Amino acid sequence: MHKIVNGQRVELTAEEISQREAEEAAWNAGAFDRAIANLRSDRNRRLAQTDWYALQDVTMSDAMQDYRQDLRDITNGLTTVEEVEAVTWPTKP
Amino acid sequence: MSGKLTLISSATASGASNVSFTSGIDSTYDEYLFFFVNLNPSVTLLEFGFQVNASGQSGFNETITSTTWLAEHSEADATGLEYRTSEDQANGTAYQPFQLNTSNDSDSGISGSMSLFNPSSTTFVKHFYINTNAMGINAGNSSSCNYFVSGYINTTSAITEIDFKPPSGTFDGNIYMYGVS
Repeated sequence: MHKIVNGQRVELTAEEISQREAEEAAWNAGAFDRAIANLRSDRNRRLAQTDWYALQDVTMSDAMQDYRQDLRDITNGLTTVEEVEAVTWPTKP
Repeated sequence: MSGKLTLISSATASGASNVSFTSGIDSTYDEYLFFFVNLNPSVTLLEFGFQVNASGQSGFNETITSTTWLAEHSEADATGLEYRTSEDQANGTAYQPFQLNTSNDSDSGISGSMSLFNPSSTTFVKHFYINTNAMGINAGNSSSCNYFVSGYINTTSAITEIDFKPPSGTFDGNIYMYGVS
């Protein structure tokens, strides 16, 4: 394993390799948290796109209510990165 | 001539864990400009980040306060614009991400630039902004991800070193450091 310092290749020291391995372990340990955070972010964006249906002078259809509820429920029961990545988004009516 | 760019140093990474510039950042220029060209990570869904070291100190761990914005558009025509609370910092010492969810496809990666202002000042904090685009992943689809990060390094010590790296794996690509006259 190596790094580039001022344009020159430099091999990592044993201490740097240990530090790098610790960083990678921490990164990998946070994989599910990152995945679910991204999913929530995407979900919130999709919800926001239909928020105007909830205005007082607009009638929200049952299909739209179901769609929005499905979006709210999309994180239910997810416990692994694979499950998050396999999520199928509901179809917007 | 005002605005002239002078190439100070360049780095070509090929399977490198990180790229550092530990010389050439001094009081010669008021602005230092870094160009990232096709940074391609070995691991998918990856962030890229930077940190700096102040004169007389050790380690890339200075205090950063930042804001982070993401605009994206996928090949499946999904769009988004959001402030990213997961990557901003409030006097944090972590590497400051300047892209996220980058694909490691062979034709993917990150390109963009970073401006660092007046790094040698012993009076002011050090402002920076970074604008990059990546071929990222959005809901399983390749996406154009425009990530805009700005902030300041909250120290009045001179900044003399900078480091760029992903949090895991290695990467290929080129980083150029220019001084702006």
